[in-house]
Amino acid sequence: MSLLLDIKNLKVDLPTERGTLQAVRGIDIQVKRGEMLCLVGESGCGKSMTSLALMGLLPSKAKRTADHMLFDGIDLQSLDERGMAQLRGARMSMIFQEPMTSLNPSYTLGDQLCEALRAHKKVTAAQARDRAVYLLERAGVPMAADRMRQYPHQLSGGLRQRVMIAMALMCEPDLIIADEPTTALDVTIQAQILRLIRELQKEFGTAVVFITHDLGVVARIADNVSVMYAGQVVEHAPVREIFAHPSHYYTSGLLNCIPVRGKTLPGSRLQSIPGVVPSLIGKVEGCTFANRCAHVREACIAPPNVQVDPTHTALCVDAVTLASLETA
Amino acid sequence: MNTHASTAPGASNASDQIALELCDLTRTYRLKRGLFRAPGLIKAVDGVSLRIRRGETLGLVGESGCGKSTLAKMLLGLLEPSSGNVLIHGKEIDPGKRLALARSIQPIFQDPYSSLNPRRTVGDIVGVPLQLHKIGSDADRKKQVRDILDIVGMPERTHTQYPNQLSGGQRQRVAIARALVLRPDILICDEPTSALDVSVQAQILNLLLDLKAEFGLTYLFISHDLGVVEHLVDRVAVMHRGKIVEQGTREQIFARPEHPYTRMLLASVLTPEPGLGIPELSTETL
Repeated sequence: MSLLLDIKNLKVDLPTERGTLQAVRGIDIQVKRGEMLCLVGESGCGKSMTSLALMGLLPSKAKRTADHMLFDGIDLQSLDERGMAQLRGARMSMIFQEPMTSLNPSYTLGDQLCEALRAHKKVTAAQARDRAVYLLERAGVPMAADRMRQYPHQLSGGLRQRVMIAMALMCEPDLIIADEPTTALDVTIQAQILRLIRELQKEFGTAVVFITHDLGVVARIADNVSVMYAGQVVEHAPVREIFAHPSHYYTSGLLNCIPVRGKTLPGSRLQSIPGVVPSLIGKVEGCTFANRCAHVREACIAPPNVQVDPTHTALCVDAVTLASLETA
Repeated sequence: MNTHASTAPGASNASDQIALELCDLTRTYRLKRGLFRAPGLIKAVDGVSLRIRRGETLGLVGESGCGKSTLAKMLLGLLEPSSGNVLIHGKEIDPGKRLALARSIQPIFQDPYSSLNPRRTVGDIVGVPLQLHKIGSDADRKKQVRDILDIVGMPERTHTQYPNQLSGGQRQRVAIARALVLRPDILICDEPTSALDVSVQAQILNLLLDLKAEFGLTYLFISHDLGVVEHLVDRVAVMHRGKIVEQGTREQIFARPEHPYTRMLLASVLTPEPGLGIPELSTETL
């Protein structure tokens, strides 16, 4: 399959009072058509900044650089604001965590859905309306035609997120960036929304970059996974591979932190990762996980990006050893 | 002394073994007539009866809006029940005597960012309950604060810091120290790790397990994370639309759930196991 998104050495710097914050420190992202790539990491790892950088929605003070940023062969770095605006919504769209803040409270759902389409394509009002109703129905919104006249506050959180998904699909985009789309939802609603995203993705052949901190979600939805830590992708692999053979101490540490039914003895001590994420302000050198890692040694000054196998890379001196370990 | 004993299950336990008992607890909210709304009553908590034995951890699970937090507020005396009552060690709580209540029951909240006063140092924050309760001399209090911060794993140098200088996990440790400084025997933990990163969550869960072993604490552990609940609790109560729809031991609820809502909650848990896909939930029963 051809590459839809090909990003090389993306960096995002944010000026702060105390110096330059290196929010994203040289990451590569490759997404094929129809692929689900999960970016997983904890708060402050740069996953949201990465998504905003892809969409050209970074705060104005932020500085974005990359060796190249190609979206379906289009050089995103050469596009001006107008060119980006033509892509956004039409060929790449975004679903955010909190649907209430991304829907306009003073317009009906119908108005907002139709606007998303009519801003980019020459269609009649009736055609736009038909597509909106169709997508609302596909997104599992009951009584879709009646809902078109409703306002966002009249919907529950789960329904609002379904509307956001329908809206993201209005122009049949090639790529959807979903930033923690189910984090604000209850577990039962989360399962329904994840199913919906997966089904619609398969049906429309859309590629999705799915950003989350929840390894349970990653395991169930991803094709490929990039684990982010302190502004870098520390490990990248297909989903089964990353859970079966985590090859970075951060990844294996994270997996061990979560109590899993049938594996973790209830009431036993959980493994945890000591310490906190280092500051990314100013000069950052060597492995950023070193201060929390039990296996740190001299070679960690310059960790190599090890190709564990053709589809699996890890930024760790012990990657090959780790990959060969049998996980419980 | 207790006229409601018949409403609670398992009435054979000696009452002095029961740390916390809720008898037919109900709280209704009156909805005012609004621009788009007819007036009405909402039963946020609807006839809840629960018993927690000394040294036991009861997990209370349910989704947003099910009444978990309203229940917690009534236990802490922050909200008066519309009917029913709360007994702590067999004695009914008197909302007028909040200080006495605070000696035996304390909360830990979800968000360690908003539950600590940003203008006071860690040491001051933890010392406030001792001051309010006029316990000991200044020197005594300082020692007690130091001891409890040491127990929750806050190094000495952090005692003079302000909350904004701490990480999320450290803030939650401070909140736990503040809850424990009066040496209560019951802790109401309302989603204590939901705002924390996974790697930090494990540290806090370990701390809660250690503290329970050390002080013989009784926990009411409110959470929507069933993985965490299964790890931590002895018994589970499942709450749905203000009512307890099922309760039982951890083994019963997780291995043999009976109520359709419990089954649906369990089915929706996404364990980190690739290849299992996303569960399909039948919502027709609800």
